[in-house]
Amino acid sequence: MNIREISKAYVVGSAQLPVLSDFSLEIDPGTITALVGPSGCGKTTLLRLIGALEQPDSGTIEKSRDEVGPLSYLFQEPRLLPWHSVLANVELVLRPWYQDREERIERSMRFLRMVGLEDYARFKPDQLSGGMRQRVAIARAFAYPGHIMLLDEPFQSLDTHLRWSLVEAFLTLWEADKRTTVYVTHDISEALLMADTVIRLTSRPMQISRSYRINTARNNRSLADPEFIDLQRSFYT
Amino acid sequence: MNRSTWLTKSITVLSVLILLGLWQLGAYLLDSGVLLPTPGVTGSALMVLLQQKPFSLNVLATVIRALQSFIIIFLVGGLFGVMAGYSKKVHAFLIPVLVICKATPVMSVILLAFIWFSSGTVPLFSAFLMGFPVMFVQVEQGVKQLSPRLHEMTVMYGFSPLRRLIHFVIPSLTPSIITGAKASLSMVWKVVIAAEVLTVPRYGVGSRMQLAQVHLETAEVLAWTMIAVLLTAIGDLLFIAMLNLPKKLMHARQTQSMENLQ
Repeated sequence: MNIREISKAYVVGSAQLPVLSDFSLEIDPGTITALVGPSGCGKTTLLRLIGALEQPDSGTIEKSRDEVGPLSYLFQEPRLLPWHSVLANVELVLRPWYQDREERIERSMRFLRMVGLEDYARFKPDQLSGGMRQRVAIARAFAYPGHIMLLDEPFQSLDTHLRWSLVEAFLTLWEADKRTTVYVTHDISEALLMADTVIRLTSRPMQISRSYRINTARNNRSLADPEFIDLQRSFYT
Repeated sequence: MNRSTWLTKSITVLSVLILLGLWQLGAYLLDSGVLLPTPGVTGSALMVLLQQKPFSLNVLATVIRALQSFIIIFLVGGLFGVMAGYSKKVHAFLIPVLVICKATPVMSVILLAFIWFSSGTVPLFSAFLMGFPVMFVQVEQGVKQLSPRLHEMTVMYGFSPLRRLIHFVIPSLTPSIITGAKASLSMVWKVVIAAEVLTVPRYGVGSRMQLAQVHLETAEVLAWTMIAVLLTAIGDLLFIAMLNLPKKLMHARQTQSMENLQ
């Protein structure tokens, strides 16, 4: 995906609030790119522009052939429909893509199994814990045939232990089906463990301040690694 | 939530007995059948009514009027409520109508309606004016409280407008629709009967009440009142039963689909 010189400003009252100006970024297909930056710097706006929920004032976003089409989202909150069961929440988003109901249920169950929730398929979201609900959202995002995955701080609201287990669940599914993933976070350690490319952003108007490529295989990464410690330190200075 | 144990049930029974006791005591102290007949006399008046020929016709006329106005309120109030919830312009346009409906005394609506319409139409018209704001306000509030986050989710996951309506909007609005329908239904009974009392259409619970009052048949007035109370209670029960029906069906369907899976 090639993001070229996009600009976006919001009108607040009588003032123009520039969020992005001439922002460019190239994202390799089939990789995870983490965008790390202060809150309110415009990361979410960039995701919304990639997701075509909003249009840039100028500039273009070119997607490669594999990336054109539906997109999967993971939000900060699970955003499940509370009146539907876990299974129905996943199955529902598949309806436009799989005509056969059996196939939809089979696919939904497969992804629920991968996040360890097949026994909870009949439960309603409010019968699950926060972490389990977010797992359902992960299953939904992967079951949905989105060509690009957009993640907007999906693990932030959880405690440390739960967070790592969700990151792990996410990576397990991702390794099985490597879709271009753009991942917004303000947590550098999470980004270092998950991403192929970590991009540090400045506050408004958002610009790239540094870009790191991480070549260590994901399962060999450790936050105690001297290289990672240096990287983490450099982010906070 | 719905915890009715034998204890709460017996407290309710006790409360009914106390009310009947007070009634009996009052009737005994006043010692006048015209002012306040005893529960026993009222009960036998009720039995006489039940055996009279046009009884079912009177009740049916009232029930039909109430149901007709309820259905009109449900549809019109729901539709306008949704429109006003989504559009500030519609909301602004409907504010005066709502203020007038809410503030006008029931009796002036009925009296005016009686100048304009025939006696059979007055109960419908009055009930509509009284019940419409109740339904409207509930549905409008429901639309305003639709979760923007869930809405965004349905957009991002490519829900068609119809699928969004079925799986997001209607389930979100259901509690408001139920509250509005319940409140307007219980209001409809009262207004329809009040309008019947004032306009005395040929058949109707209110008409009979009015005639009994003119003849100082207090027991009969009370008996008709009891019928009105019963009608409201039965209406409420049917309403609740109707609400539980889809839940049961849905549960059965889900259980079945899970069994198919295994």
